[in-house]
Amino acid sequence: MTAWRSEGPRSAVQVLARYPGRSALTVLGLAIGVAAFIAMVSFGEGARLSVLAQFQTLGTNLLVVTPWAGQRQALQQPTQPLTDLDVTALRRESTTLADVVPVVRLEQDTARDGLHHWIRLQATLPAFARLHQWSLSAGGMFDGVDVAQRAKVCVLGATPVRALFGDSDPLGEVVTIGGVLLCRVVGVLAPKGYSTGGDDIDDLILLPITTFDAYWGTAAGYSRLELQPSRAALMDAAKGEVTEILFRTHRIDEGQEGDFHVTSPLEVVRAVEKTSGILTGLLRGIAAVSLLVGGIGIMNIQLVSVAERTREIGIRAAIGASPAQILSQFLWEGLALTVVGAAAGIALGLAIASATAEVMHWPRVISASGIAGATGFALGVGLVFGFLPARRAAGLDPIEALRHE
Amino acid sequence: MPPVEEAPAPELVVDAEGLCKRYRFGGEDVGVLAGVDLKIGAGEVVALRGPSGSGKSTLLNLLGCLDRPSAGRYVLAGCDVSALSRAAQAWVRLHYVGFVFQSFNLIAHATAVENVALPLYYSGVPRKRREDMARALLDQVGLGNRHAHLPAQLSGGQCQRVAIARALACNPRLLLADEPTGALDSRNGAEVLQVMLDLQRRQRLTMVLVTHDPAIAKLADRQVHLLDGRVVETEARAA
Repeated sequence: MTAWRSEGPRSAVQVLARYPGRSALTVLGLAIGVAAFIAMVSFGEGARLSVLAQFQTLGTNLLVVTPWAGQRQALQQPTQPLTDLDVTALRRESTTLADVVPVVRLEQDTARDGLHHWIRLQATLPAFARLHQWSLSAGGMFDGVDVAQRAKVCVLGATPVRALFGDSDPLGEVVTIGGVLLCRVVGVLAPKGYSTGGDDIDDLILLPITTFDAYWGTAAGYSRLELQPSRAALMDAAKGEVTEILFRTHRIDEGQEGDFHVTSPLEVVRAVEKTSGILTGLLRGIAAVSLLVGGIGIMNIQLVSVAERTREIGIRAAIGASPAQILSQFLWEGLALTVVGAAAGIALGLAIASATAEVMHWPRVISASGIAGATGFALGVGLVFGFLPARRAAGLDPIEALRHE
Repeated sequence: MPPVEEAPAPELVVDAEGLCKRYRFGGEDVGVLAGVDLKIGAGEVVALRGPSGSGKSTLLNLLGCLDRPSAGRYVLAGCDVSALSRAAQAWVRLHYVGFVFQSFNLIAHATAVENVALPLYYSGVPRKRREDMARALLDQVGLGNRHAHLPAQLSGGQCQRVAIARALACNPRLLLADEPTGALDSRNGAEVLQVMLDLQRRQRLTMVLVTHDPAIAKLADRQVHLLDGRVVETEARAA
């Protein structure tokens, strides 16, 4: 008894297939809306994950001290670099720190066999790898003995390995740094990819800080001090303590501004998460509006379709189609349009999301919740906006409709 | 319900008393039907005649449950249908009434079989079966070789025969034809009329035929003349 019910989808699709051009135009708006929604959700999620990944390379349980002239320069107050004095004081006096690792950064040329690669040199201590949760894909990190002996060894990131060695094994080979220092490669860092800003995180070379000192000197001070609190819960306490100790070693008076900055990647992560959360919400809102506009497009075309097919509706009514049957026919048509539009939108959205992830070096996120949300919303829109035209069709007076030309 | 051969007493299919229809036009009450009494027995053919504006179409719409009377009582095949809801009216049209229109009113994008199968679709017959039934009906009206044609590929007479097959698809008790030959030339018109009357006789259908043509009207068992919304004259066929 329910053939007209079970066959609704099929006959709806047949009707829509009769006007392929119009049907395609009708669903275009909705498809774009769904695609935008999925792409937006993927953007947001991809950006967030890549920021998180970036800070994971730093380690989230970390404090970073950097020199910072700030207002002191303008006020003509003396500023001091970060030096061994600071490192020693921090090691000796702090109760909250497990590790203090100085880092010097320098852009330098590296060369091997006539191949050159301009690179970020980072001179540091062996603990750097542990602090950055950086594992090695070959060999090992230089150790305390290397540091004590100013050994001419280095650890390469994945990018310089590719640039200087191609497919051959770099372990035990020698690279020339800055044209003067010949270092043996003792380890290769596992690749980490790109940061949100598009920086190649793997484009670096690690060197014992003492070796660096022998060739380029560290009198100008360290680029940064990386500190690890003994427990994550001590982060805030450590920050206060570090500030206090460095104020003392730098002889900065109470009430003055410091000549350094203490930041924690965790704070940055939280700030980024908050911003990206707001941004994602905004993008979703815009996408939802475009879905709504797509739904209104479907409604308009369906209203036109009902007006054009008034006579057909009259014929169907005259031979005995009930208002409910006519309503259901047009609801199915609206729904079929929505389903087609949503499917096209999902395909388009995923394509856009993948392409963007590729270009931006983000992790590719296929957000199931994004797809489900967009599809559910689109179907809701199709039903709601399909209802008005369908009700108009069902409400037509058969006699009037039959007179319609 | 299958037609009953030789019913003992002439059962009434149409039993209408005092049917009135008024419309409001720009605040003015316009009466189109002013109390029509009409009784039609099973298997009877009635020709409805009258000048244009006399209320023939309005009466036909009322008899076909496309419209509701403003006043009066209409019993169709034993049920009072004077005040049904729209959905119930649709059900009655589907199961008790078949329409044949002057302008055929076929669905342009549907084939002959699909057009004939449409009422069966609405009454819930599965696809395979209703298409078989539609083909059988098309064979009966002499369109055995036109099953898959679209209305645009058929002549006027053929279109009207498809419409007749469609009107009969759900085994109606009452066949209503509004100038069924009005859009056809005389030869095609005569053929269509012949097909319709043959089927009417074979299935003992009750039929109301609106026509201007006195020659066609003479084929009916009874002629009812309308004027200004009233029945002014009824004449039985000369024996």
